Amino acid sequence: MSSLAGYEPLFELALLNMVLAFSQYIPLRAGVFSLGSAAFAAVGAYAAAILATRYGVPPVVCVVIAVVAGGIFGALAAVPLARLRGVFQALATLALVQIVLSTALNWTALTDGALGINSIPKAVHLTEAAIAVVFVGYVLHVIGLSAIGRGFDIIREDETVAVSLGYSVRKHHMIAFVLSGAIAGLGGAMHAFSSYSITPNEFGFHMVVMLLAMVVLGGRVSVFGPVVGAIILTGLPELLRGFQDYRSVVQGALLMASITFLPSGVVDTTRGWLRRRALTRGQAGADAAEVTS
Amino acid sequence: MSMLALQGVGRDFGGLPAVDSLNMSAERGRITGLIGPNGAGKTTVVNMIAGLLKLSRGQVLLDGEDVSTREAQELSRMGIARTFQNIRLVRDASVRDNVLAGFHLHEKTSTLANLLGLPSAFRERRALLARTDELLDRFGMTAMADWPAGSLSYGHQRRIEMMRALATEPRLLLLDEPVAGMNDAEAYKLAAIFREVADDGVAILLIEHNMRFVRRLCDHVCVLASGRLIAEGDAESVINDPRVIESYLGS
Repeated sequence: MSSLAGYEPLFELALLNMVLAFSQYIPLRAGVFSLGSAAFAAVGAYAAAILATRYGVPPVVCVVIAVVAGGIFGALAAVPLARLRGVFQALATLALVQIVLSTALNWTALTDGALGINSIPKAVHLTEAAIAVVFVGYVLHVIGLSAIGRGFDIIREDETVAVSLGYSVRKHHMIAFVLSGAIAGLGGAMHAFSSYSITPNEFGFHMVVMLLAMVVLGGRVSVFGPVVGAIILTGLPELLRGFQDYRSVVQGALLMASITFLPSGVVDTTRGWLRRRALTRGQAGADAAEVTS
Repeated sequence: MSMLALQGVGRDFGGLPAVDSLNMSAERGRITGLIGPNGAGKTTVVNMIAGLLKLSRGQVLLDGEDVSTREAQELSRMGIARTFQNIRLVRDASVRDNVLAGFHLHEKTSTLANLLGLPSAFRERRALLARTDELLDRFGMTAMADWPAGSLSYGHQRRIEMMRALATEPRLLLLDEPVAGMNDAEAYKLAAIFREVADDGVAILLIEHNMRFVRRLCDHVCVLASGRLIAEGDAESVINDPRVIESYLGS
């Protein structure tokens, strides 16, 4: 166990990344090209950090408030952004990240600017992070099975078909934004309570790309997609320690290769393959039975 | 009153009329055929009725109500369902899940119940799955229920489109070339199902190229050429109409 204990911070990071990846997963599943998760995470992280350090609010209450704040921010962002599509939506949500980032940098009275907020109590450890992942994962799994998940799937695949079956695209996209905001709010707050300090730059372009890569690499239909994506992209830098300066190059190349050869992501591709194999075997069994009977 | 009536309907593309001054109707309990050579504007007509294309002129009446400016989603709620000529399914999802998606209009549980995974949402899912299985059985596709929709043949994919459209329990069903790519035996099996659906009081508008199929199935046939109605009536007389023969074979 002692050898594993050294990796505890890494496991904790992976779990917290999973929560943030869930926030990126929901809009992609619903066919929303939102890159706003980093902005929502910043809102949650700053809300929690400010309440905890300035007003001494207990961490649990801070986290709940961060979830609500993230959700509300997501809903507000959805009003102008949900009607956009594709590249335009990606750019507009990226602009939202930029707005939140510069607010965090320049509203020094509230956020202490580039210095960030320090001496946040350490309230999130491996256990709390694991509970959050299981909780969010379960909620998303249930939603995925429900009528809302069906709506997400058909809207993502073909909006024209969705409206001709009576689905409200606007309603489903709004739900996706609110969920994305609330989950990112949770992830941001937990990140703040795990890392003692937060600075604006953590919620910038690097996080946007990382979260997007996790979901694209893992898969955007199954709930396990973002989980696997977060494990790979959190663990990879550790495995590539020996490469030192070339680490980003290797990581980027692996990402390009996996997107080229597994466009549906590791989990969805594997699941599809397993399902086909099971069906083919069942079919072969049935055919054999027919021949012998 | 007709379930569907088009009055002076027209649609221009780049200033050129694709459909012009079209008057036609579809009655409940009947199968109305809409035929015509390639490029006659048949799919344009279906897209206008379903609300996917705006009309340039004229009116669409559904059961007497003017629905010309309604959005596709509203029209679907009002009881218009359709299939697509170029098959549009969730290819990676199973046949069953594709059909299940058609029951959206019959979902009664609230969004909140679905978000929280309340028992009522799961009960409803089970009930809708049972209805999905009935449809699969009716179309003889129970054995393929778990296969990804995209892995099946065209004929089977068309059947999924039809099941999904029927799942909405429409008043007016628009079928855009439902038996393209099927052999006669398969097509006639489907014809029997269309007849049953019509007998339940649904108005069916069927776009088709296969003349034998139209002749056998349709109660009333409208012929479109270059966006205009050139003939209508019962299948036999329309098919023997010299103008129709000319439009198909050229003069």
